Amino acid sequence: MTFEVPEAGDPVVVQGITGRYGSLHAGLMLRYGTNVAAGVTPGKGGQSVEGIPVFDTVKAAVEETGAKASVLFVPAPAILPAVVEAVGAGIRLLVAITEHVPIRDTLAMIRLCEESGARVIGPNTPGIIVPSRRLKLGIMPAPSFLDGGVALFSRSGTLMYEVADALSKSALGQHVALGVGGDPVNCTTMTECLDWAAAVDEVTSVVVVGEIGGDAEERLAEHILATRFSKPVVAYIAGRSAPKEKHMGHAGAIIYGSYGTAESKVAALKRAGASIARTTGEIPALVSPSR
Amino acid sequence: MRLFEYEGKELFSKYGIPVPRSKLANDESQVLAAVEEIGLPFVIKAQVLSGGRGKAGGVVLVRTKDEARREAGRVLALNVGGEPTRALLVEEAAQHGEEMYVSVSLNRGRREFVALASRSGGTEVESRAQGAVEELPVPLEGLRADAASALGTKLGLEGRTSSEFCSILLKLERLSREEECELAEINPLAVHADGTLIALDSKIVLDDNALFRHPEFSQLPPEDPLEGEAAKFGFAFVRLDGNVAVVGNGAGLVLSTLDLVADAGGRAACFLDLGGGAQRERVEAALRLVRGLPSARAILVNIFGGITRTTDVAEGLRAVVSERPMVPVFARISGAEEAEAHALLSDSGVPVFRTAQEAVLAAVRGVSP
Repeated sequence: MTFEVPEAGDPVVVQGITGRYGSLHAGLMLRYGTNVAAGVTPGKGGQSVEGIPVFDTVKAAVEETGAKASVLFVPAPAILPAVVEAVGAGIRLLVAITEHVPIRDTLAMIRLCEESGARVIGPNTPGIIVPSRRLKLGIMPAPSFLDGGVALFSRSGTLMYEVADALSKSALGQHVALGVGGDPVNCTTMTECLDWAAAVDEVTSVVVVGEIGGDAEERLAEHILATRFSKPVVAYIAGRSAPKEKHMGHAGAIIYGSYGTAESKVAALKRAGASIARTTGEIPALVSPSR
Repeated sequence: MRLFEYEGKELFSKYGIPVPRSKLANDESQVLAAVEEIGLPFVIKAQVLSGGRGKAGGVVLVRTKDEARREAGRVLALNVGGEPTRALLVEEAAQHGEEMYVSVSLNRGRREFVALASRSGGTEVESRAQGAVEELPVPLEGLRADAASALGTKLGLEGRTSSEFCSILLKLERLSREEECELAEINPLAVHADGTLIALDSKIVLDDNALFRHPEFSQLPPEDPLEGEAAKFGFAFVRLDGNVAVVGNGAGLVLSTLDLVADAGGRAACFLDLGGGAQRERVEAALRLVRGLPSARAILVNIFGGITRTTDVAEGLRAVVSERPMVPVFARISGAEEAEAHALLSDSGVPVFRTAQEAVLAAVRGVSP
């Protein structure tokens, strides 16, 4: 199943806009050129943040602006009701920045997406950025991202910034950069990102930033083979030297026995024909071997 | 959050899953008191969270009062995988035959909970052939009785054992869902001669992110005082056994830095993620924390500034490196305002680099004899 990314200038809602984090990033998104048309915080309707009108409900914000996308900064205990509310109000693309979401709430979001056709990115994601559209739905530092043909998909936020920065400095811009999230389960998976990249002509190559834990990279490798994905893929996996049975910062970055090791992921992606970078610094040269 | 065996068994009892009679003991006299209550022979089990308890001698069958006294002292003093015994569980010794396995856990790849069951449980279950394990997807609203019973049939269970298994699986699944576990496991699930079943061990891992809905589970303060300190500031912190303490902003970034350290022939002393938007005070707190690691001979700070202001980081570094005692600090600072950040550190004695690779090499060289 693929998904649609808003066009340049499409209105966007920020849920949880009056919080410290929500207001900071609503302003940064706005200054990047994204049309943050409305904010939502229950009980704070009528206020404004960075000149953005605040509404009590998503429904009111959607009626006023026609927004189809939302970025959520609400606290973890409130995220599932906020997602349900947004989908009910007609929002089709939701970017859940929120960290520490209970696993069963994430599973409930996945089911809501399956039933409604809406799309959630995250949770625990830095978001998605499309430089050609000045569209930034997230918390990434805009100066590191440049327009181009790379589709960058990452489980980690800061590594996504670091890799985008290195690519941009090598004049390898990005058509899209998307964080799937650092949790054990992501509402939008790496394989769905790959399908998206396959369908979008502007994408000329794919960079995957993975890490230890789970089997998202192994599934991605299988999917590359099964769909005969034809664009070049460069992959980097963090955590080769990490100990077992320890959460390495992200809830999802944990090895159990032989499940979730970097070796397994690297081997699977190699078999699928991906070029493997041993360090993030090697990525730009692998994206453009001719340089 | 992982629960101790006895906490897991309290949950089992709450949900009607049969467990042996038992008593928690914190010292020898409480173990001897349990002799009257439980009756000999009984089993003394070290309450630890680490695996490999049986092999380490943390589970022992006791037949006499003298043995009970001797073994209580020995097991209380036991370390399993570096973890001291928290308490002893004194439990009636159950006579049984077959040992089964049953669990409800998250399958990350399939993005759903699954029930797993096998006729061959016990300590070696993880190394057994996959073919012997039956699997059943668990819907969000709960397992249906007919699905649970079909799983029992697949395992070849009959009569009383089959109906008891079905009932225990349904109870375990309800426990997993209501208490919001990532893993709820009974291994072994022992079969008595009369076909009834009993849970001899428990392994429960709660979803940490769901604890706000379950205030009855209070997290024990960590054994490691540095972990406690890290938790206070909201740092993600893992103690490791090398000599280069690694600090950075972002879990993935710190993880990749550990790999660079290993590639350079060094060993990391810790993983510390400052989190996003790290301010000066947080940087200072993190440096003071990792300098308390007895094994640390150098601190490597890796900052990619985006939303985090690199000048804030530089000021934090400046403030702490002048304190004594201090180990050498090597920094990589890149991103927004990096020139100003580097200038701030020019007379601080902290070597600052633009790439992680350079900083790692300098730090690893710095700690080599």
